[in-house]
Amino acid sequence: MLVALAAGLLVLGLSSAGAASAASPRASRSAVTLVVYSAQGYNQAEVTAFQRATGIPVSLENNSTGPLVTQIEASRNNPKWGLLWVDGPTVFAGLDSQHLLVRGFEPKVNWDSLGRQSLPKDKSYVPTGVTLTAALVYNSAKVSKPPDTWQALLSPRWKGKVGMNDPSISGPTYPFVAGMMNYLGSIKAGERYFEKLKANGLLVNQTNGPTLAALSSGQIDLALVQNSAGIGAKFTDHALKIKYLPPITLLPSCIGIDAKAPLLERQEAERFAEYVLSPAGQKVMKSGDPQGDSLYYPVIKGIKKLPAVPSLNGVKTQTINPYLWGSRQDAIDTWFTNNIVQ
Amino acid sequence: MSTLADQSHLPSLQAPSEPGGRGASNHAPGAARRPGLTVARVGSLLRPSLWILLVLLILAPCACFLVLAISPRLFDQGPQWLTFGYLRGVFSGGNALALTNSLWVSSAAAGLGLAVGFPIAWATHRTQLPGRRLIVGGMWLVLILPSWIPSLGWQRLVQPDGVLTRIGLGSALLTHAIMGPFGVVLLLALRAVPFTYLAISVGLGGLGQEFEDAARIHGATRLQALRMVAPILAPAIFSAVAINFAESISDFGVASTLAFNSHFPMATYQLYASINNFPPQFPSAAAQAWLLVAAVALPLAVQAKALRGRSYAVLSGRTRPARRRALTVPQKLTYSGAVCAFFTLALAVPAFGAVSGSLLADYGASFQVSFVNYRQVFDNSGLSAPLERSLIFGVITASITVVGGVIAARLLARRRTRSTKLLDFLLLASVALPAVVFGAGYIFAYNLPFLSSLGLDLYQTTTLLVVAYVASSLPTNARVLVGAVSQVQPSLHDAARTHGAGPIRAWGLGVLPALSRPIVMAWLLTFTGVFLELPLSQLLDPPGASPVSVAIQNNLGNYHFGVGIAQAVMAVVVALVAVLLVLGGYRLLAPRGWRRIGGGSRG
Repeated sequence: MLVALAAGLLVLGLSSAGAASAASPRASRSAVTLVVYSAQGYNQAEVTAFQRATGIPVSLENNSTGPLVTQIEASRNNPKWGLLWVDGPTVFAGLDSQHLLVRGFEPKVNWDSLGRQSLPKDKSYVPTGVTLTAALVYNSAKVSKPPDTWQALLSPRWKGKVGMNDPSISGPTYPFVAGMMNYLGSIKAGERYFEKLKANGLLVNQTNGPTLAALSSGQIDLALVQNSAGIGAKFTDHALKIKYLPPITLLPSCIGIDAKAPLLERQEAERFAEYVLSPAGQKVMKSGDPQGDSLYYPVIKGIKKLPAVPSLNGVKTQTINPYLWGSRQDAIDTWFTNNIVQ
Repeated sequence: MSTLADQSHLPSLQAPSEPGGRGASNHAPGAARRPGLTVARVGSLLRPSLWILLVLLILAPCACFLVLAISPRLFDQGPQWLTFGYLRGVFSGGNALALTNSLWVSSAAAGLGLAVGFPIAWATHRTQLPGRRLIVGGMWLVLILPSWIPSLGWQRLVQPDGVLTRIGLGSALLTHAIMGPFGVVLLLALRAVPFTYLAISVGLGGLGQEFEDAARIHGATRLQALRMVAPILAPAIFSAVAINFAESISDFGVASTLAFNSHFPMATYQLYASINNFPPQFPSAAAQAWLLVAAVALPLAVQAKALRGRSYAVLSGRTRPARRRALTVPQKLTYSGAVCAFFTLALAVPAFGAVSGSLLADYGASFQVSFVNYRQVFDNSGLSAPLERSLIFGVITASITVVGGVIAARLLARRRTRSTKLLDFLLLASVALPAVVFGAGYIFAYNLPFLSSLGLDLYQTTTLLVVAYVASSLPTNARVLVGAVSQVQPSLHDAARTHGAGPIRAWGLGVLPALSRPIVMAWLLTFTGVFLELPLSQLLDPPGASPVSVAIQNNLGNYHFGVGIAQAVMAVVVALVAVLLVLGGYRLLAPRGWRRIGGGSRG
């Protein structure tokens, strides 16, 4: 009776509970639904536009990067995703190292210099835009002369006034930590730098939202966050300003395709990537989340960034090797949790 | 500990004479055979069904996850077929510190939660405390709030350059006290109070006036009568302590906010960080989960030792509602002041934090109130669908869970056998497991390639999400109900059977009225828990059918912090309205006798 009741209620509930019913997205090869895993703010707009343009059905899993990657790794023996679209090449390099991504796919587009820098040699993922990590966001009402270098953050002037995110939780923060280690010449040197930041009263929050809230409320004066998050915060707190300390690390948003997906779904995923990089797709990317992820630097020649995004002219940037630093992420994140967060 | 069951002069507490440790069955010999067989048949069907469900829903997913600690290769999560390295790892460095912190903080919170919750429950049910009807609603509100909201509210108040500082009331001492272990214990204890309140209220509901009267007739003072009656509530008290401990040690909301920002590591956050790492460290997380499971053995051992060999069946057809004691003016002021202080700490502060966060359009740079975040929520049509979905998920989950909860509670209330001990441990251990463990375990267990080859593609469906919700809710649900179920004497069922009712109808006529109020409360507890549940929802989120918590988290974690807070506030309001509708419906629709029995007091 209990089983029957449970089954009955479940059937009753499922019939009314939502679009994604119990049927597998891959049940029929003639009408394969492309399953898109994405953490981008404009993903729903892009999926809708893609469906309208191609007629290909898409099922969107809109979630944070961490849970998406956890799902991919936990379902490695029997993956259900078709395409992953998140920020950070280290994640894709890690998946590629496990042979989970389709290799050798490159959309026929006219890359600009940012796009060319971000494209991996084995073409296992495709950059769709570039943001920077970490930008220095400061409250201009309180700070008239922000620091000019990374070393300056260690001065007593900024004691207890600097905040950043936890790289174990915040997707864009690990590339920042790795970028600092790359810039300072070694992991050890990077660890010493963050230990000194901690000794100087570094505030670590989990993600961009709380760190920026701490900046606006006055708890800290300087926040180290992804540049698009800082630019987006300026829309709500007009006193905030952004500065890029040299060098700043490029953080491409990327698309990777599941190597174990059925052929038809892989082809659909490739069409999705091509659509995203087309003028129509780029238009949607720039309008889908205008105070958030849309604040990116394009990777295609002829596509202009949004006016709110500052120019990159004269900004010293660096690109980290995602395969090298991706393989070190577990150890570095664990070190950060045990030595900086705690 | 002495219980009233040991007092031979009290006629309603007979010595256990059946395997369940209950009072003697009082139906006639002739009528006993058929009903006994039928009930036995129903029981023999229900018990295996429940065990099968528990194995499939709880044991298998948890086992699939926990086994990774010693054999990561089983699920392709590492090269080793057998290793103890991950288990050794949790006893060193940051993991050991986090586990130690979680253990003592959870113990302290469980005790403090009992110390605060018990008197409030007693005063609400046994005295004419002014505004007592509001207390139930207030407790539900505390339960509805995800634990990160109070945590965030406190932080906004006391953090350096927080609200108190900005209005000139800042205190380094207060900041230091709250942003540290004391604050963590306080917040976890405040969350434990409603669990205590519910468990004790249920116990008090079945505790009639006759015991206090008997004691007073024999010359006991009011305090002595209370001391004598209190042990009857032992199942409810131990149930409360156990659930408080398990809920505290598995809490993630406080661990990831106040504790995190206070540099006070806790085991759940370490576990979450391991899973959220890239690549996820499932074996390491599984090793930490083993210790959390082992930790719940502590309260269970204490409970088992304290309750061994005693019967607490006191609720029968002869149970008389307890009288409410009138309070003097000083007593009213004292009691009301204490209750107000609790709700200020548990509700007013977090409400301030959440609502102020949602009303400040500029992340808190100014104190200018704006509704821009709410306007964005209303303009964004993408929110209503997840809200509706979560409401439906909550209703389905609560309805299924409460059925399983009653059956599990019935088994737990029987005489302690190996199987009931195992059941007890299994249920409480799964409360202690963070939901993220459940989520990952469900992927491992229900996304096996051979299941797909059989056409059972459950992963990424609403079916699996609801099943996981049920599995994660059932242990708490059963725990809340066990106090009430253990008080129901078989004579209630037997009386209806003697009058010709079939076994199901007899249960409906004889037992359901006594359990209706606890069942409604357990239903609401599950509903509110599922409505804003996050970790399971994030990992088992069906594409295109996200629950509301995932939608909120997507905003909170990224660029739209204020909008996310506004969404959370609205979701809490929706949940509260749902709770009020259910409570109001019960009051209007339930037969008067049902309300009288469960209410347990008059005046």
